[in-house]
Amino acid sequence: MSGNGHSQSGVRFGMAIDLDRCTGCMACSVACQAENNVSFRADESDKLRSITWLEVYHLQNGKEYPDYQFTYLPRPCMHCDSPHHSPCTFVCPVNATTRDEVSGIVNHIYPRCIGCRYCIVACPYHARDFNWWDPKWPKSMESMLSPEVSTRMRGVVEKCTFCHHRLLKARSKAYLDGIDPNEATYAPACAEACPTKAITFGNLLDPESAVAKLSKDPRAFRILAKLNTEPKVYYLSKHQWVHKLGDNSF
Amino acid sequence: MKFGRRAFLQFAAGAVGGTLLSPMPWRLADDTAIWSQNWSWRPSPERGPITTVPTVCTLCQGGCGIQARLVNGNRAIYLEGNPVHPINAGGICPLGAAALQYLYAPYRIEQPMKQTRARGEAAGFQPISWSEALDDLVKRLARLKSEGTPGGVACITGSRWNSMDDLWARFFSAYGSAGLFKMPSHSDSLRATAKLALGKDSSLAFALEHASYVLSFGAALVEGWGAPARMQAAFMRWQKNGAGKGAAKLVQVESRCSMSAAKADQWVPVVPGTEGLLALGIAHVMVKENLYDADFVSRGVLGFEDWTDMQGKVRSGFKKIALSPAYAPDQVAARTGVDAAKIQGLAREFASTANAVAVWGGGQQNVPGNIYHEMSFFALNVLRGNLKSGGLVSLVPDVPFQPADDQTAASAEGGAPQIKLGSVPGTRVPLPGNGIYGFLDILTRGMIPPLEVLFVHDANPAYSLPENKIFKAALDKVGYVVSMSPYMDETAMTADLILPNHAAFEGFEDVVGLPGVPYAYYAVSRPILKPRKDTKHSGDVVLQLSKALGGNVAAALPWASYEEYLKNRVNALAASKRGAVADKKDIDLSKLQSSVSVSPNFKDGTDLWKKLTGGFCWYDVPVDVRSAVDTDSGKIELAFRAIQGKGLNVEDDQVYLPHFKPLPPSGDEKEYPLLLLSYGMLSLSCENLANPPFMTKTLWDFVLKKNDLFVEVNPATAGPLGMIEGSKAVLKTPQGEVAVRVHLSQAARPGAIYMPQGLGHTAYDEFIQGKGVNSNSVVEVQVDPITGMGTVWATRAQLRRA
Amino acid sequence: MDKALIPEGVKRCPLPAFALWVLVLLGVIGWGVYAGIMVLLKALNLTGLNDYFGFGLYITVDLAIIALGAGAFFSGFLYYGLSRFFPALKELHKIINLAVIVGFVCYTGALAVLLLEIGQPIRGWFGYWHANVHSMLTEVIFCITCYAIVLVIEYVPIVLENRKLSEIKPLRLFGHNLHELMAIFALTGTFLSFFHQGSLGGVAGVLFARPFAYRTGFFIWPWTFFLFIFSAIASGPGFTALICRGIEKVTGKNLVDRSVYELIAKIVGGLLLFYITLKIADTLYWALVLAPEAGLKLTDFYWGPYGIWLLVTEIIICGVIPAILLLTPKTRQSNIIMFSMFFLNCVGVCINRFAMTVQAIAAPVMPFDKWEIYVPTVYEWAPCIAMVAYCILIISLSYRYLPLFPRERELNPAP
Repeated sequence: MSGNGHSQSGVRFGMAIDLDRCTGCMACSVACQAENNVSFRADESDKLRSITWLEVYHLQNGKEYPDYQFTYLPRPCMHCDSPHHSPCTFVCPVNATTRDEVSGIVNHIYPRCIGCRYCIVACPYHARDFNWWDPKWPKSMESMLSPEVSTRMRGVVEKCTFCHHRLLKARSKAYLDGIDPNEATYAPACAEACPTKAITFGNLLDPESAVAKLSKDPRAFRILAKLNTEPKVYYLSKHQWVHKLGDNSF
Repeated sequence: MKFGRRAFLQFAAGAVGGTLLSPMPWRLADDTAIWSQNWSWRPSPERGPITTVPTVCTLCQGGCGIQARLVNGNRAIYLEGNPVHPINAGGICPLGAAALQYLYAPYRIEQPMKQTRARGEAAGFQPISWSEALDDLVKRLARLKSEGTPGGVACITGSRWNSMDDLWARFFSAYGSAGLFKMPSHSDSLRATAKLALGKDSSLAFALEHASYVLSFGAALVEGWGAPARMQAAFMRWQKNGAGKGAAKLVQVESRCSMSAAKADQWVPVVPGTEGLLALGIAHVMVKENLYDADFVSRGVLGFEDWTDMQGKVRSGFKKIALSPAYAPDQVAARTGVDAAKIQGLAREFASTANAVAVWGGGQQNVPGNIYHEMSFFALNVLRGNLKSGGLVSLVPDVPFQPADDQTAASAEGGAPQIKLGSVPGTRVPLPGNGIYGFLDILTRGMIPPLEVLFVHDANPAYSLPENKIFKAALDKVGYVVSMSPYMDETAMTADLILPNHAAFEGFEDVVGLPGVPYAYYAVSRPILKPRKDTKHSGDVVLQLSKALGGNVAAALPWASYEEYLKNRVNALAASKRGAVADKKDIDLSKLQSSVSVSPNFKDGTDLWKKLTGGFCWYDVPVDVRSAVDTDSGKIELAFRAIQGKGLNVEDDQVYLPHFKPLPPSGDEKEYPLLLLSYGMLSLSCENLANPPFMTKTLWDFVLKKNDLFVEVNPATAGPLGMIEGSKAVLKTPQGEVAVRVHLSQAARPGAIYMPQGLGHTAYDEFIQGKGVNSNSVVEVQVDPITGMGTVWATRAQLRRA
Repeated sequence: MDKALIPEGVKRCPLPAFALWVLVLLGVIGWGVYAGIMVLLKALNLTGLNDYFGFGLYITVDLAIIALGAGAFFSGFLYYGLSRFFPALKELHKIINLAVIVGFVCYTGALAVLLLEIGQPIRGWFGYWHANVHSMLTEVIFCITCYAIVLVIEYVPIVLENRKLSEIKPLRLFGHNLHELMAIFALTGTFLSFFHQGSLGGVAGVLFARPFAYRTGFFIWPWTFFLFIFSAIASGPGFTALICRGIEKVTGKNLVDRSVYELIAKIVGGLLLFYITLKIADTLYWALVLAPEAGLKLTDFYWGPYGIWLLVTEIIICGVIPAILLLTPKTRQSNIIMFSMFFLNCVGVCINRFAMTVQAIAAPVMPFDKWEIYVPTVYEWAPCIAMVAYCILIISLSYRYLPLFPRERELNPAP
C-alpha cells in the first residue's frame, strides 16, 4: 500500500554532492535527461514548467564586485527519510508514490498517478515536475528513447528516481550471480557522468561507504536540515556563505 | 398504485444495487483508465537485448573514452564515460552526454544536395546521387589542375588533433594548392609561441596534475580550456585533501567572475585586456627582487640579458624591458586595477610556492591571443624555471606515425601549407600562423583571384567564425561552395553542393594528441552504428576525389577508404615500437616521465588496431623539453629573433620582446563607452555543433528567456543607463546592432558587457533556431600584426534602452 | 406562460424576462464549459499553474465555495438535529430549503471544477481503488463524492414539490417519503461534511515540509482540520443569508422574516468569535513556535502581493470586526451593517482558503529559493465564473419553480 516505513532494511541509498568540486558543467543534468527519457520542448526558458529531475540552482554570496562569488547546486530528489513517510508519499491519494523501504528510494507509478499535484505541493525542494503537456519528441529522436524507463503522459507527476531501474538491474544481476541482492550497489546516471566525481552515491547505512563518510564530513550540510524531512542528499562546501544559504539555521 | 415505504425502499435499493452489480460501470471505468495509460501518441521504445560498445568521443578535441548503450544492436540510447579510460575515468561532459541528439537530429542532411536556385535559398536544395555529385566535382578540380590554377581550390576545416587534418594536408600538397585553413583556435597561439621560443612546431603542454599553484590569466580552466575532461579531472585533484584544503591553489586573473574565477581560491579582477600587463608587472617584481630561477635563465635562455641580433647589433633583453618603470607595480596597478601590494604578493607567491605554473588563453570558443601577451605569460614560466626536464611546461608530443628520420612526418596538429601572405602585395605578416582571416581578407578585396571551389569541412564559419560577416563577404568571391556538414547549418545553407559527412559515431575517426597535455596520446573512435543516412565519410570523399583525379594526387593518397588510411597510420605507430595501450583501470598518465620509457603492450599493427577500436587509448611519455629545443641558438628564446628580415620595423628593441601591446579596438570611445566581451560555458556549445535540446534546457532564464538573450551588466553600469533586471536594450558595436535584454550581475565588471557564445543560430530547427543573438556578429577581430592571426579580446560597445 | 409550473399563490416575473436572464447565464456557462473542454483536450498548460503552483484558482475557488456551502449541512444539523433541544432554531425552517440548494450547487459545481483540476480525470476513481489511508486527499475524495450524493438526495424532494411534478402521485409519494427520511440524510450529511471540511483543512495542515501550512494537532488531525470546520460553519449560514437577501433585492420581495436573519447573525457571530479566537491562538503558535522550529520566521511567509495585509485583513477586518458587530444587538439591527458583516465574513473565509493553498506554496522553503507570483489564465477564470453562473442558474430555477420559502405568501400579500 503506502510503503509506510514500518520495516527498514540495512540499505538506505543516499548522495553526497561536493559543491567545491562542481564546475557547473551540467553533465549530470544532461545525463539524467538522456537516461530517463525526460522530455523537452522548443522553449525551456520557463523554468517553472521545465521538467528537470536534476535541477541546478544558482547560488551567490550577495556581495558586490569584486567580492562576488557564486556556485551551482545540483538538486535531485531528496528521497526524504522522515519517519514512516516522506512529505510526498504521505499525501498521495492513490499511492502512486511510495517509499520503497528496502532501498529508501521514493518511487512514482505514472499510470496510477491521477495528476492531483498534491505531492508537488507537499515537496519543499521542488523536486517534482508535472507534465503540463503531452511529452513529444522529434520523430527521429524517438529512436534514442531507452526501453528501461517508461515514458510518461500528460497530467502526471515525475521526478528523480535515483535511477531506480539501475538498482533493479543490479539486484537482478546480484541474484543471478548468487550474491545477496541487498548487497547490490550501483551508480545513478548523474553520479556516473560527473567529470569531477562531485556526486557520490551509495548506502548511507554502510559506515564504510564513501557517501556515509562524506555525510559526516565537517563540510557537509543538508538543505534546511531543521525541516524534519531527513533528506538523503548531503552537500559539501568549504564556504560559510554556502552553508548559510543552504541550511538557514539560526 | 399503492406505493408504500417498503415499495419505495425496494425500488431505490434495487435501482442502485442493480446498476452496481452489473459489470457495466466497473468495466467502463477500468477500460477508460487503461486507455489513459496507453495513448497511441505516447512513444513506446522498442525493447531488446542491450549491449555496450566502447569508443572514443570526437565531438571536441578532448579525447574522452566513452561507451554507447545499444538496443538490438541497432539503436543507440545512451552515451556514458568509459571507466577504464585514463583521461575521463568514467565521467563525461554535457556535450558527450547529449551527443545522440546529433546522431538522431531532425536537421540531418539525408543525402548529397545541390543548390538549384540562388545561393542561400532553402527551397532550392535538391537531392542528387553521390556519383553525380562527385563526378561534377572531379571535373572542376581536374580542370583547375590542368589549367595550372590549383590555387583556386581552398578548404576551411575545423579538424585539428586528428588524421583528417593530415589527410587534407596531403591532398592539398599533392594537388598543389596552399589554400588549406583551419578555424581559429588558441592552440594556434600556443604553437606560434612554441615556434618562436623553442623552435618547435608543436603546441605547449602543461603538467597541471603536478601543480600546487596555478596562476591563470583568463584561462577558462573548468569551462572548456584544453582537453575539457582532463581539466575537470585535474581540478578534482586540486580540490583533494578534504577538510576544505585543496592540493593546489588556483588564482584566476579575469575581469569577470566566471565559473573558473568562482571556483578559484583567489580571483584577481582586472581591466579587460590588461592580463598581459599584469604578467609583466609580476615579472618586474620577480626580476627586481631576484625571485626568478637565475641559474636556469642564465644557462638555458637567450634574450633575458642583452643579446646580439643577426646583424651584430646589441639589443635589450627581457630583463631590461621587465625592469622598466612602465611595469613597476604602481604603474601596472593604475592600468590593470590590481593594487600594487597585490601585484607584489602574487609575484612573491608565484615565485616561492613549489610547483607554480602560469597558464593562459581563452575558453571554449578558443581564439588566438595577442602574441606579445602570450609570450609574456610564457615568460613567467621561463622565469619560474618551469621548462626543465620533467617541468610543468613542455610540448605536446608528436605521435610517432613515421620513424623519427622521416621528414614528411606530420606533427600532432598537422602543419598545413599556408598561402604566403607576405608574398601578396599590400600585406605584411612577419610570421606564419593560421592565416584564415588574412586569406578571407585578401580574397574579399580581390588581391588574389576568386576561388573556384571552397570546401568547408567539420566547421560552420558562417556562424562560429568571430566577425562572421568576413566569411559571408568572402563567399561572393567563391564560385562553388562545397559543404561537408552532416547538418543543415548556416554554412551548409550557403553551399552550392552539400556532401554530407557521417554524423558523430557513424564512421571511423581518431584523436591525435590532446591540447595542453604533456604525454603523447592516440585513440581511434570506431563507429557504434551503421550510418543512418546516405552520407559518406569526408575522408572517403577526399580519397575518392584523389583516385578520380589520378596522377600524383592518386599516388599520394593511395588508400581505398579512410578506415584503411587509419589502419595504415596505426601500423606505422605500431612499427615505431613506442608507447603502450591503457587497457586497465586507474592508469595515471600524469605519472609518466620522459626519462622512463614505456614498454609496448601490443604485438603489431593488427593487434594495436584491435585494442584501439576496443576503446582503449595509446599513450607515451612526455617530451623532454630541454632536449627538444630546436632554436638557432639551441636555447629557449625570449627574443623573437625570427622577426628579423620579415619586413617589420626592427629599430625598436621592444619589437623582439614580450611587452604590453594591446591591439586597439575600433570605434570612438565617446560613442562606444563600454567594452563587450563574449564568454563561453561548457554547457553551451558554440563551435561547429549547435546546442542540443538537452543542454539548452540547462540554460539559466537570465541567459535565455524565450528567444531573448541576456547580456550581463553590473548594476552600477546599468543603473545610470536607466535599466533594471530584464530591461530590453539595444547593443551596438562598430560591427552591428542587436536586440538583447539586460541581466544585472555583480559578476560583471562595471563598464563591461558580457555576452554568451553559442546562441543566435538561424538554421537547424525549432529547438535551436532564433534563440538569442550570435556574439560572432557583434564582436570585432583584431588581427595580430606579427602572426596575422585574428584575435578577439574586447569590442567597443554601447548599450541603450530599447 | 409557465404559470402551471410556478408554485401557487406567488408571483414571478414574466417568462421572457426570465428567459433572457437564463440565456445570459447559459452564455457564461457555455464560455466556461468551452474553456473546460479545451483544458481537457489540450492539457493543463492552458492554465497559469506551474511546478511552483500545483494548486491555484481551481482549488482556491473549490475550497472557498465548499466552505460557503457549509451553510447547508450546518443549518441542516441545527434544524434537524438540535432544534428539538433549542426551539429557537426552528426559525431556520424558513430558510432551510435555500440552504440545501446552496449546498447542492456549491458542491456539484466544485466537483465539476475538480474534474479540470486533476491531470488525469479519467483515473479520478483511483482514489477509491488505490486509497492511501494517510492521505487527506483520499478522505476528501471519499467524503466529497458521498456528500454530493447526499445533497442530491436532499435536493430531489424539493424539486418534487414543484406544482406540476407533485401532481404525479408516485413522484409525490416518493418525495414525501424522502422528506420523512430527511433527518437521517441531514445527519449523515453533517457527519460527512464535518469530515471532509476538516480534511480539506487537513490537506494544508499535514504538509510537514511546508512550514507555512503545517500545524501540529491532535491524533492524526492538524489544527487546520478543526479551523476549517469552524470557519466554514461560521460563514456558511451567513452566505446563505446573503444569497437570500440577494434574491429578495432582485425580486423585490420579502422571502423570510427578519428574525431568521437575526438568528443567523447571532449564530454566525458567536461561531466567528469562537473561531477567530482559535485562529489567533493558532497564528501565534505558528509564528512563535512552529516556524522557528523549522528554521524560518514569520516574515519569511509574507512578501510582495502575498503581504502581511492578507493576515490583517483575514483576521481583523474579516474576523474580529464582523464577530463583534454581529454579536452587538445595536449594530445587528442595521441591515446594512449585518449584511456587510456577513459579506466580510465570507471574504475572510475566501482569503483563508487562498492563504492556505496558493500563499502556502508561494512561500519558498529552501533558503535560496525565490518567491513566485501566480497569475491564473482565462482558462481558470472562465470555468470558475461559469460555476458561479451555474449556481445562480439553479437557484434561479429553483426559486421560480419550487416552493422554497414557506413564508413567501404571508410576507408578500397581494395588493
